[in-house]
Amino acid sequence: MREFLAMGGYAAFLWPSYAVTLGVAILNVVWARRSLARAVAAARLRLAAGGADS
Amino acid sequence: MSWTWFHRLGSPPHIYRLAEQLTPWFAWPAAALILAALYGGLVLAPPDYQQGDGFRIIYVHAPAAWMSLMVYTTMAVAAAVALIWRMKVAHAVAASCAPIGASFTVAALVTGSLWGEPMWGTWWEWDPRLTSELILLFLYLGYMGLRGAIEDPQRADRTSAVLAVVGIVNVPIIHYSVTWWNSLHQAPSVMRLGKPQLSMPMLWPLLMMLLGFTLFFVAVLLVRLRGEILVRERSASWIREVVET
Repeated sequence: MREFLAMGGYAAFLWPSYAVTLGVAILNVVWARRSLARAVAAARLRLAAGGADS
Repeated sequence: MSWTWFHRLGSPPHIYRLAEQLTPWFAWPAAALILAALYGGLVLAPPDYQQGDGFRIIYVHAPAAWMSLMVYTTMAVAAAVALIWRMKVAHAVAASCAPIGASFTVAALVTGSLWGEPMWGTWWEWDPRLTSELILLFLYLGYMGLRGAIEDPQRADRTSAVLAVVGIVNVPIIHYSVTWWNSLHQAPSVMRLGKPQLSMPMLWPLLMMLLGFTLFFVAVLLVRLRGEILVRERSASWIREVVET
């Protein structure tokens, strides 16, 4: 296990690069869901205010 | 030939519902592929004869760089379709692409830097590949900044679409930068004519990563797209149905 984590001496470069890429992927999921939730909330507010022509 | 499919493709309620239904079909295979590729790349693939275990950075750097280019191409094509056929949904696709592409461009630059230091002895060099990738980040940021700066949504859509289309010239420059100029960066090892340069145990985790991230992009795009459609379809009665369930 220790040998695996050491990555032949490249641990200091390899693990941060994996963390950054997977972190960006996770952030994309969070941001996308948040922006959709925000748009849905805004649409509900408009409907409640009678702004929509339905 | 019937053009109804084309009109359905441009119909916001249809796209909204389709996006909702399709998302899990991209998200779960993406997660499975990326997890399997992580195991393949970190555990099963043998160390490189020159770079040792350091070469394993390729399994995150190449997908991030692939995303930066593929997402930009998608954005530019969507923007062109939107400008030519005045398709509102295509503007929504282009707008959804930008933050995804920008974030993966940052990941490509950071992982490239983390790979460059041990292999080339430098975090950064004003090299054609690195510089053109940095310009790609500025194109994404410029696109998002432009959208944010224009208040009228339709004008923001059109103006930013022009920038996206013009910026596409940078994509082939990035891809061919390593062949056209002397570059520190290595030549493509997968996206090249003829056989890929990696051996099979090293190659398959990379291909799985590339496919996994591509599916991941579609899933995230579909979620963002629904939000962008809602913002654009302010007064449509179908919105009541989708937000009040």
